[in-house]
Amino acid sequence: MNSFDYLVAEQFDAAVAEYGRGTAALKAGGIDLLDLMKEGIDSPSTVLSIGELGEFRYIRDENDGVHIGCLTTLADIGRSKLLKIKYPVLHHAAAEAATPQIRERATIAGNLCQRPRCWYFRQREFHCLKKGGATCFAVDGENRYHAIFGGGPSYIVHPSNIAPALVALDAVIHVRSTDKENEPIKAADFFVLPEQSLKTENVLKPGQIISEVVLPQAPTQSATIELREKQSFDWPVTMACVARLDGGWRVCLGSVAPIPWLSRPAMEVLANKDITPELAAAAGEAAVKGADPLADNEYKVQLVKVATKRALLTAAGLEVPRWN
Amino acid sequence: MTYRSDNHVALENDGPRLDIVEKVTGKARFTTDYYLPQMLWAAYIICDYGDAHVRKSNIGAARAVKGVLEVQIDKQDGQYHGDRLGHICAESRQALERGLAALDLKFRIRNPKTRLEDERTPRDKLTPAQNDAEAQKALKESALAAEAEFQTQVQTHVALEPHGCVVDYRGDSAVAYGSTQSNIAFRNDLARELKLRQDQVEFHCEYVGGGFGAKFGCDSEGVLAAKLSKKYSRPCRVIRTRKQEHLDTGNRPGSIQYMRIGLSRDGKMRGGKIATWGSVGPTGGGQASAGGGGGGGVRNPSRYNFGAIAKVHEDVSLNGGYPRAMRAPGNPQAMFAIELMMDHLAEKAGKDPLEFRLLNETSDIRREMLKVGAELIGWSHRKPNGTTHGPIKRGLGVGVADWGNGRGNATIGINVYRDGTVEVLSGAQDIGTGYRTMIGDVVRTHLGLPRELLVVKVGRSDYPEGPASGGSMTSRATAPKGFMAADLAREGIRRLVAKEWGIQKVDDIALENGVFKAGGKSMDWAKACRLMMRDRLSFSSAEDGQYWKTPTGSEAVQFADVSVDTETGIIRVNKVVALQNVGLPVNRNTIENQICGAVIQGLSFCLFEDRILNRQTGAMVNPNMDMYKIAGPVDVPEIVPIIWREDRDVGVNSLGEPPVIPTPGAIATAVANAIGTQVRSMPLTPDKVLAAIASVGPAARKAKAP
Repeated sequence: MNSFDYLVAEQFDAAVAEYGRGTAALKAGGIDLLDLMKEGIDSPSTVLSIGELGEFRYIRDENDGVHIGCLTTLADIGRSKLLKIKYPVLHHAAAEAATPQIRERATIAGNLCQRPRCWYFRQREFHCLKKGGATCFAVDGENRYHAIFGGGPSYIVHPSNIAPALVALDAVIHVRSTDKENEPIKAADFFVLPEQSLKTENVLKPGQIISEVVLPQAPTQSATIELREKQSFDWPVTMACVARLDGGWRVCLGSVAPIPWLSRPAMEVLANKDITPELAAAAGEAAVKGADPLADNEYKVQLVKVATKRALLTAAGLEVPRWN
Repeated sequence: MTYRSDNHVALENDGPRLDIVEKVTGKARFTTDYYLPQMLWAAYIICDYGDAHVRKSNIGAARAVKGVLEVQIDKQDGQYHGDRLGHICAESRQALERGLAALDLKFRIRNPKTRLEDERTPRDKLTPAQNDAEAQKALKESALAAEAEFQTQVQTHVALEPHGCVVDYRGDSAVAYGSTQSNIAFRNDLARELKLRQDQVEFHCEYVGGGFGAKFGCDSEGVLAAKLSKKYSRPCRVIRTRKQEHLDTGNRPGSIQYMRIGLSRDGKMRGGKIATWGSVGPTGGGQASAGGGGGGGVRNPSRYNFGAIAKVHEDVSLNGGYPRAMRAPGNPQAMFAIELMMDHLAEKAGKDPLEFRLLNETSDIRREMLKVGAELIGWSHRKPNGTTHGPIKRGLGVGVADWGNGRGNATIGINVYRDGTVEVLSGAQDIGTGYRTMIGDVVRTHLGLPRELLVVKVGRSDYPEGPASGGSMTSRATAPKGFMAADLAREGIRRLVAKEWGIQKVDDIALENGVFKAGGKSMDWAKACRLMMRDRLSFSSAEDGQYWKTPTGSEAVQFADVSVDTETGIIRVNKVVALQNVGLPVNRNTIENQICGAVIQGLSFCLFEDRILNRQTGAMVNPNMDMYKIAGPVDVPEIVPIIWREDRDVGVNSLGEPPVIPTPGAIATAVANAIGTQVRSMPLTPDKVLAAIASVGPAARKAKAP
């Protein structure tokens, strides 16, 4: 790891000003940044920590929705009764992520902004497309965990567990910079495909910091299903987040595309109907429309069908297969 | 009675590990904890790809980094990711890392060989075994026959404490610290490298964070640290990174195993043909280190009575890190294939898999263990393959193992101090298995003394000779000497008491619960020790004496209960019943720890772990602890360790390796029972499980229909 200057922000405004100068890497919990720096993928000369700004660690139920401060940890979300009861889709996604130790450090904003966990991106040996190289090694290489939707020219999957839940909830991400006091961005518009931007995974420009996330509407029904190879400390190989809002069902898939993948075919099948086992299965079938698997990840197509179906059944309180 | 479900052990030791406080408080010092004044930092410069030539390097820039003392490239061609091309030495870790970054190696990648299945010689091109005709005849005479091919992946050693060494050369002597399974071999290697006599090197490995067969000798880390410490007359440390620990410190080789076995009408195996292929390093097996080997061999056939088998094997070179002996080398992968084959044959014979095993079992003890284990797991409720209700299906499976128990060299020393303290000294190292506790409990319980009087010191080269901790050797080599030395110590103190009481025959004095008694008199141990008019009395034994007893076969039988989500291919192991013959059990906790640890490692191998080489570059894509998947707490099932015997008819026998052998086979057969078809390639990941289910599903049946 390179040596660096370490700045600790005591006020958010000061952090925004410092970050706006464009020389520092931003650190909240530090989970992602530390890994990147240890491998030499990122070697900032200055690290700016906002992790000590305790006033940005909150979950508040207000008139216009639930407000979650950017430094709220995944463990905080896991401990929130409000979110557990009213927003199970988000609560589950946070409460089941990583390990208890990581959840105590990892923040909601850091989780949304983390870089891909693709094994080519994460290793210095591979000068891949996302690092300015000429090749996405996943295309002809080891691609069992890579994208089946939205791939090309890079086939990463977005690593955030929280993002698909927020997209399903039609959440709004509030961003601050020296230019704008507050810029609200819909979660569904926050993430960008590789064909739009290779070197980043979201619309944040240099100097912009997420300040909070707002959930404008509580779903009447919602759920998350994550399918993991390992049950401890593993990223899902597929996840499905579903939420029923005023306008109807929203279905967002995780770990299958470079962005949280809003499944419009599934949403069209569902509209605003009550869930039956047949409808859930039909939505699962619809969710895989457009899937374009690589050589080793076709199994994810089946997982998308099952995760979508089971998330809908869970949200509706219907029976889903249980481990016995 | 062959076991007790409460695992009560003959020596009645239920105490926690002797070093538990040191380990949980951080007081225990591992190799990496030694930071010596003026210490240098050194590391190997490694090849980034499977088969690559260094086309560009910036040695000048690396040498120009402040604090870098030397940079040396010894070869321009690397044959695997992690291959050592040269080294760098610096004043600090920071300078070392800057120097490595400045070196900025660029490679030209050739055509790495990354897949066993692509590189092996086809079976029909292998030279037939000498007894091929005999096996052919057995097959011909068999009423039934079945064949199948199985594959297992490469599992890296990835010990929690990476390989490493700190050497402090002082001209006519040296002090060194290393993470090793053999402090004697480590010391001797260092003495050779430093051109010192063996007595001139003081070597320490009081605590070791795991060793599965890849930590014998001083290894490449010790060689480099010794060379640089001597050159600069300063201490030098070489500790492998987590990444390098995956790449270049050994692995369990991958395998492909073909089996064709014939059966008689009554279900007995008559013989057949077995071909195995094992993945080795670019130039063969076990050449990566100074200290240990490990080829691609697979112990198939084994355990069951297969009849006349013609076996051929090929080591297949890949551009990946070299294999090194790993916890029961060649065995877990063999039993994965063998247990699935046994089920496959049982089905052909129309027999229950357990019944089929009992019919073809070679060990009477295991036959008994199979029956007891079946009862404990509820085998009688086992459903026919793939017939449990609903998408999440349940299955039961079984696996077996054994291990050899030969004698080994060791010396156990005991100092009894005037204040009653009993100091046990052994040069053997505790690699995390609980050796310190085991040998302490051997001496303490043999003397009948409380733990408070006991001090156990292990893992230094100046302590009495200990064996290498490999081949499940440590306990069986040291325990008899521990009993012998304890006898000598008892005798020594008893003589003092006899003299004090004026008793001629020392045998008339009994030592019970720490108190000497004879003719109505009594004296406790501490008081008796004060009778010595000196600092201490020292005893030692290098002999087994009466305490070497006919060994067991360290037989093991495990039953697994699994659930498989047939819609997602995800497997959860619910329960493993692990019966283990350990000979004379010494400490219940450490035995149960060993069995449970082995089951977890076997489960992790079966379901998750996999060294994945990128096919274009030969680089390992997952050399870290998040992408190289190892079972975590939630993946661990209920494990029921059963200590098979509790009597004193046998000696302390092997335990390190046998319990890791049956687990993959037990889980894999349980999965097959659950889903109704076998997954014959490890790890059993969702993609493979779904593919196996699809291969026998309605669509596949329709496709196969004429």
